Amino acid sequence: MVSISEQDAFAALTPARRTVVHSGERIPDSDRKAPGAVCHALSVRLADGLPADGPQVLARRFADRAAALLPAAGTAAAFRGAARLWTERVPCRSDESAAQRWRARELVRPVVAHRDAPVRGVLLHYADGVAELVVVAHRAALGAAALRGFVAELLGGAPPRADREACAARTAGGGRRYDAARHAADIAECHPGAQLDWGLGRPHDPDVPETALLPLPAGHPEGDTESWAAALGVVLARYEGVGRPVLAALVTDTDDGASVVPVEGVALVPVAVDGANTLGTLDKQVRAAVAAGPAWYTEELRREVEAAGGDPAGIAGAGLVFADLDPAADLPGAASAEYLPFQLPPFPVTVSVVRDAAGNRMLRCDFSPRKLSAGIADQFLRHVCRVHGVLLEVPDTPVSDVRLLDEDELDHLDALGRPGPAESFVPQRIDAAIAAIAASRPDAVAVRFEDHQVSYGELDGRADRLAHALRGLGVADGDRVGVCLERSAELIVTLLAVLKAGATYVPMDPAYPRDRLSYTTVDAGLATVVTDHAEFPGGDRVRVIGTAELAELAPARCDGPPSSTTGPDDPAYVIYTSGSTGRPKGVVVPHVNVLALMAATTGEFGLGEDDTWTLFHSSAFDFSVWEIWGCLLTGGRLVVVPYWVSRSPEDFHRLLSRERVSVLSQTPSAFAQLVEVERDGADPAPVRLVVFGGEGLDPRMLLPWFDRHPETGCRVVNMYGITETTVHVTAQTVTRAEALAGSKSVGRALPGWWVRVADPEGRPLPVGVAGEIYVGGAGVASYYLNKPELTGRRFLTDPRTGERMYRSGDKGRLLPDGRLEHLGRLDSQVKLRGFRIELDEIRSVLLDDPQVTAAAVLLNRADPDDPATAQLDAFVVMDGDDTAAVRQRAARFLPEYMVPSTITALDKMPLTTNGKLDTRKLPKPAPAAVARESAVPGRRAEGAGAGGADGGAAAPGDAFEAALLEVWQEVLGVPVGPDDNFFDLGGNSLLAMRVGAALRRRGDFTVAMRDLYLRPTVRQLAAGRVG
Amino acid sequence: MRLQGKTVIVTGAARGVGRACALAFSREGADLALLDVCGDIPGVPYPLGTASQLDHTARLCREQGASVLAAAADIRDLAALRAVVEQVCDRFGKVDVLVNNAGIVAPSGKSAHEITEDEWQVMLDVNLSGAWRMTSVVGPLMVARRSGSVINVSSTAGLVGYRHFAGYAASKHGLIGLTKATALDYAPLKVRVNALCPGSIRDDSQVEGRMLAEIARSLDLPVTEHEETFVQSQPMNSLIEPEDVAQAAVWLASDESRQVTGSVLTVDGGFTAR
Repeated sequence: MVSISEQDAFAALTPARRTVVHSGERIPDSDRKAPGAVCHALSVRLADGLPADGPQVLARRFADRAAALLPAAGTAAAFRGAARLWTERVPCRSDESAAQRWRARELVRPVVAHRDAPVRGVLLHYADGVAELVVVAHRAALGAAALRGFVAELLGGAPPRADREACAARTAGGGRRYDAARHAADIAECHPGAQLDWGLGRPHDPDVPETALLPLPAGHPEGDTESWAAALGVVLARYEGVGRPVLAALVTDTDDGASVVPVEGVALVPVAVDGANTLGTLDKQVRAAVAAGPAWYTEELRREVEAAGGDPAGIAGAGLVFADLDPAADLPGAASAEYLPFQLPPFPVTVSVVRDAAGNRMLRCDFSPRKLSAGIADQFLRHVCRVHGVLLEVPDTPVSDVRLLDEDELDHLDALGRPGPAESFVPQRIDAAIAAIAASRPDAVAVRFEDHQVSYGELDGRADRLAHALRGLGVADGDRVGVCLERSAELIVTLLAVLKAGATYVPMDPAYPRDRLSYTTVDAGLATVVTDHAEFPGGDRVRVIGTAELAELAPARCDGPPSSTTGPDDPAYVIYTSGSTGRPKGVVVPHVNVLALMAATTGEFGLGEDDTWTLFHSSAFDFSVWEIWGCLLTGGRLVVVPYWVSRSPEDFHRLLSRERVSVLSQTPSAFAQLVEVERDGADPAPVRLVVFGGEGLDPRMLLPWFDRHPETGCRVVNMYGITETTVHVTAQTVTRAEALAGSKSVGRALPGWWVRVADPEGRPLPVGVAGEIYVGGAGVASYYLNKPELTGRRFLTDPRTGERMYRSGDKGRLLPDGRLEHLGRLDSQVKLRGFRIELDEIRSVLLDDPQVTAAAVLLNRADPDDPATAQLDAFVVMDGDDTAAVRQRAARFLPEYMVPSTITALDKMPLTTNGKLDTRKLPKPAPAAVARESAVPGRRAEGAGAGGADGGAAAPGDAFEAALLEVWQEVLGVPVGPDDNFFDLGGNSLLAMRVGAALRRRGDFTVAMRDLYLRPTVRQLAAGRVG
Repeated sequence: MRLQGKTVIVTGAARGVGRACALAFSREGADLALLDVCGDIPGVPYPLGTASQLDHTARLCREQGASVLAAAADIRDLAALRAVVEQVCDRFGKVDVLVNNAGIVAPSGKSAHEITEDEWQVMLDVNLSGAWRMTSVVGPLMVARRSGSVINVSSTAGLVGYRHFAGYAASKHGLIGLTKATALDYAPLKVRVNALCPGSIRDDSQVEGRMLAEIARSLDLPVTEHEETFVQSQPMNSLIEPEDVAQAAVWLASDESRQVTGSVLTVDGGFTAR
């Protein structure tokens, strides 16, 4: 009994103490549910009705036997009460449903340890003369066999073998005193709030246990507790994706014919699901673990489990109660009997083997609807049953070869991941399809950029002429042509011209550093690059040509594009994506994939000639493929967003309204800034469709958007996709419902695409279970350029269908309705402000530095709720301590968004016991590099005064400078000098917006976003203001 | 059913509000332990509940499908209460709800200084100490399971004074203090304690209530006249039915009120609103 100390009366006076009390640390919540979980019950319908000698004899026997169960006087007593047999005259006939309910109610009344007798009994006497005996026992006093013996003796059978001696044996057993409270606490400890993510539970449902039943198929082999435990372990390992799941088994006593073997308690069974093991070996290991006796749940055990590689947090998420007891056997005078192995399921997921009234065995799962859905519970039982069958029938089967899913289930999964057949379309080249639109609507506006516009006819004609010019430069069918242009109308014409020349375009962002540009040029084998970049690192073997120069080479007139043998299955573009090998890799995508993408989406999204799209993203990012060709292939109007506008949410928002943009494609990070602009009072933009891509969406951020844009007026679609599968794979329409629920669903596969979730061996995983996402169908790219080995590993042939499929490296799970949940990356790829970044790529660049011997890169958020505070922090072990030099070198290869904001030098990397980086032990990152240290070439502003070079925070020149310094310091959270580059100090577009907002609030000054990019130091901004 | 599987102890269950509560609880699927003094108490000037009345309550509850344990026990006798609760545990294994309903309305009808020591003692011993005794026996059972609801039936006399009812009002005010303090004791342990404050309750013949009659007699008024005066003072212009109180008790007993503790719920037709 818990006593409350008088100090508690004053708990309210000291908040800290009150917290302790409320968190339940001081007063453990251990036995809240325990009574029901540690009690079991047996009900017996008496064949001859009420005993002829009257219930008094039965009642006397009951009282005597119950008294015999009590420990001898003087010992510590778990139970002290005397028990009597109650008689209840039930005012209905035994065959009425009311009688059923009556009996069910008696079966679930618990016995309270520490107070009551160890058993309670009631004789139900129905109106039709039928009598039923219900006995409930605490497991600490009577195990399953002993309970049956107890009842048998009440009914005049052989005296039970388990009484005082058995109790005494249990008390002495294994050197550990059996104590009911401890038992209860053990079971309570088995409720660690296990997540069981695969269960697809509904966390807000009432926590009322539900039950699933699976009749074992005829001929299913007989098995004991240990065999079921082994089977359960194998299934848990697959579901949890761990090698050593720990399950709890409520082991009960057994009657071996001669004596009751009093083993009773919670055994925690670590199941080593080593793929090389056979099921038979695994079964033996489990048997040994159980034979070692009930393992009390202790901190010590937790450590043992951890040391053995198990996951202590997952301890006993699921448990087994073995109850394969034929309840009516050996009970004299019993017409029928029912055994209830527990009154409340002791584990979040409790599996047991029970028998129905006819004696048929059934696998039973008791679960909380908060943890499991009913469908998943059924599936789970099917798999436990299947593995158990294999375990007993083919024990030589290696654990890794056991198949959870049968053919029907595999077919069902295939159908789930493949919701619709591909929409039909004419396979042709992108440029041919656009030429057809140009022929039918030559005067319709195709492209708008700033103040001028290009019609479809003009676009097609100009691209034809430029295509001839490219041919003139020696570009042939199938050649790759580099295009490194700012967002402009020229960019669109040039890309189309490359396609018309029968060639493949390789987009490059002019903002990329030299080394990355030259890497791409060399890797893609570019002989021709169209660019207006004055310092494009071409080299001798590359023909670098400006757009004006190319236009001069073009014929004044031409009759259509050059003739070409390039077909729709040939490559249209090669886009480079971040790669874990340390170098970006080129993804080769054919024309037909883009046409299939538009066929899959045009009808669904109602895309057409009335739509106006934006080109917001860099052409080197495959979201631009959707924006450019998605618009032009459906006859829409494409508004090219100038770079400066794309960086300024206010300006971009104005552009949306001015140009009446209807189809907007955004990364969630960029969109968040737009939502912010509307929150500040801007009129709602007139868009009718928002397409999210490029990074995971937390739909909760959309709530303010929905407040201004009802779902009936603007559809919001979250699309999951990868460059290697042609921009998009799935689509989920997001409504307020998804936003409120924080849904992770990315929706069903597009028609013609399919998805699958598989384990590391590539075997499909059941619904709900998280694994790697595989994508097949119309969007799968051709290959990685020049990387046959990597291509072989990622672009695979589906053994089930023979189709090509891409192994994404993304983590996900399939939902029962075929929607996919996206759960991030399996490897170290992260998204930062919409950029896909492979942390290993940064690490690899850092390690290329001869001074650096070890490196680690993390994506951190100083404020977990504020995406603007996300930054890359690098940790290095190096000779010397010149981290600035390391950063400077890394910035030569990495794009700006991949350069770590901080680099911290360490003596050695903190590692976990199994040799992995222990990120928890890394120190706080060193403050962001300040300008005098960073000296990133080209980014250190020209014309910076000498004052900043070695003086650190030089004295501000005037009031404007002072105000700016103050605001920057406030926004960036680091000391700022007048010559420090905003972006070197960890500044980014989100923080730049905050600077603007803070200055506006002060009322004195404003700074345009564009100015901040052009003049990224305080001194330059101040100078620019004067000038 | 809102109380399916719950075990409820009701004191003063032979008749009146106690019987109404027992019936309402059994309709909602609860099993019941019914207690009553089943006999008169010296110094209380009117007949209290009888064994026959308690049996009748039990029978009505059984007819609605409840398992019922009925026991005679004086709320002033701690040992007797302990013995009954032991029985309740043996029969039902747990107690989910305790309704401290037992109470007396007289000896009353005089000024505070006219009350004798014995009259004062018996009023507090039954109305206030009785609720404390039951709580001290049943509370630990609830605390051990981190679950339970205690309902103390106080009165509008726990909130306002009534002329010539100083002892009664003192005991019912005390009950509210007991409720609030116990609620704080038990809040971290997930046991809830609330008070119900009914106004004047009609003497319903089905539950054999006689409170109004006793109040009238204490005030030396004919029942009809007292009733008329009282109804006129009620904002809703009617007396409270025992069933109204029982329904409030069902809500406090059920998980629907799981965040309600230390509260004082009036069922008084607006009497204390002004």
